[in-house]
Amino acid sequence: MPDTVPQNGGYMVAAYVVGAVVLISYALSLYLRTRPRLPA
Amino acid sequence: MPSSSSLRHAWAVASKDLLVEFRSRTGILSAVVFVVLVLMVFNFGRDPTAVSNLVLAPSILWVTFTFAAILALNRAFQLELENQALDGLLLAPIGRGSIYLGKLVANLVFVATVEVIGVPLVALFFNVEVWPHIGPLAAIITLATLGFVAVGTLFSAMTVRTRFAELLLPVVLLPFMILPLMWATLATTSVLADRPLSEIGGSLKMLAGYDIVFVIVSLLLFPATVNE
Amino acid sequence: MRLLRAGRWITAIALLLLAGVYVRALVYTPVERLQGLAQKIYYLHVPAAIWAETAMIIVGIASIFYLFLKDPRLDRFAHASAEVGTVFAVLMLTTGPIWGKPIWGTWWSWDARLTLALFLFLLYVGYLLLRSAVADPASRARFAAVLGICGMVLVPFVHFSVYMFRTLHPMPIVLKPSAPSLPGNMLATWLFSVAVFTLLYVGFVTQRYALSYLREQLEATVGGGDSGMGHA
Repeated sequence: MPDTVPQNGGYMVAAYVVGAVVLISYALSLYLRTRPRLPA
Repeated sequence: MPSSSSLRHAWAVASKDLLVEFRSRTGILSAVVFVVLVLMVFNFGRDPTAVSNLVLAPSILWVTFTFAAILALNRAFQLELENQALDGLLLAPIGRGSIYLGKLVANLVFVATVEVIGVPLVALFFNVEVWPHIGPLAAIITLATLGFVAVGTLFSAMTVRTRFAELLLPVVLLPFMILPLMWATLATTSVLADRPLSEIGGSLKMLAGYDIVFVIVSLLLFPATVNE
Repeated sequence: MRLLRAGRWITAIALLLLAGVYVRALVYTPVERLQGLAQKIYYLHVPAAIWAETAMIIVGIASIFYLFLKDPRLDRFAHASAEVGTVFAVLMLTTGPIWGKPIWGTWWSWDARLTLALFLFLLYVGYLLLRSAVADPASRARFAAVLGICGMVLVPFVHFSVYMFRTLHPMPIVLKPSAPSLPGNMLATWLFSVAVFTLLYVGFVTQRYALSYLREQLEATVGGGDSGMGHA
């Protein structure tokens, strides 16, 4: 058993940020694509 | 069980394709030239102290066979497309299944020809002993080739009329090629390294299972690719 | 359009709950002794993995029904599931290596989940590319269905072979990412995350389905692109 817990919090943060970016970007893409457009 | 007439029809389709292919010979020639090219490049590029032949040979073998298969598949329905002969083929009183089987057989013969030429070349250029293992190797090669050509024949019917057909086919086929390739390369490595045959049992079973499943699935789905 | 509104609401709620997952996972769930904080990536990666794979199976099943029933709604649904599945596969492929680097020491390893993620991603990309390459809508639906079914059939093979591959080629394992035999607190977080991802899937697919429907309506009424309305 290791004495200390490995200090890899940076990876956790990176992954959670990436996750949020991916999901929110897609949600945004759906929102933008389904907005009604005005005729030119 | 397929009736004797549907098998005859399949053979008719296959022999027509093969006749055309072997008359012009451009397909086989380009595939063989590619094989020789790859073998030479890999030979010049490697460092014999770093990478042994036994490690390299199986992967190279399978890279070249895969290329030959893609070449064959890209040509599979092109012939019909060019002369709008596909409609003629579909109007003929033969079942869709026969068309698929015929195309499959023609593609297999094409790839098998390249493989029959390629294996001795690999043995020669890479100094690996192929002949003592020829039985298991033949089994591996047959099973793996059937796997990706079966799916490839199905997909080529769909991609042939799309805009970037020659590019789209390999992209769509990729995941379906990786698995048989993986098992085949593993087994080939094991065989060439003189490992006991029991070790390739698993790979062979997976390959056989894959073949059975995907030949049946492709046969069932083929009509959907040509029916209007 | 009612379906679209429902989809938007579901997605909004799901995203809000996702924030809740974040807080719960990051702050209120205990740190795993052996893997450290990086283990928490698990609460995002695994639910994404479950849905990336399930979405592919749904594409396959919808495709089978489409070939029999020829109902365009099934095709729209399959398409929607494929696009959403791609998003989850991307999530797997990004969080996977970020998790792998501190745990295994390498960004990539041919472990079961990462390899499956790659396969799923390739299958989805192929499916979407095929759809975009076929002009005629009827052919497009049929061809996509064929590919969708083949993709669904491939998935169990990938599972088997990755397991086989793993027993032959041991991974560079420094710390072993564990399968869920999670203590209560962690299990609750994980279940919460799976539920939220399920809601995300439903919300996303509903909206994507609605989008396909709206586009088809547009094509039908406008009859081509002469009103300046583009499609994204």
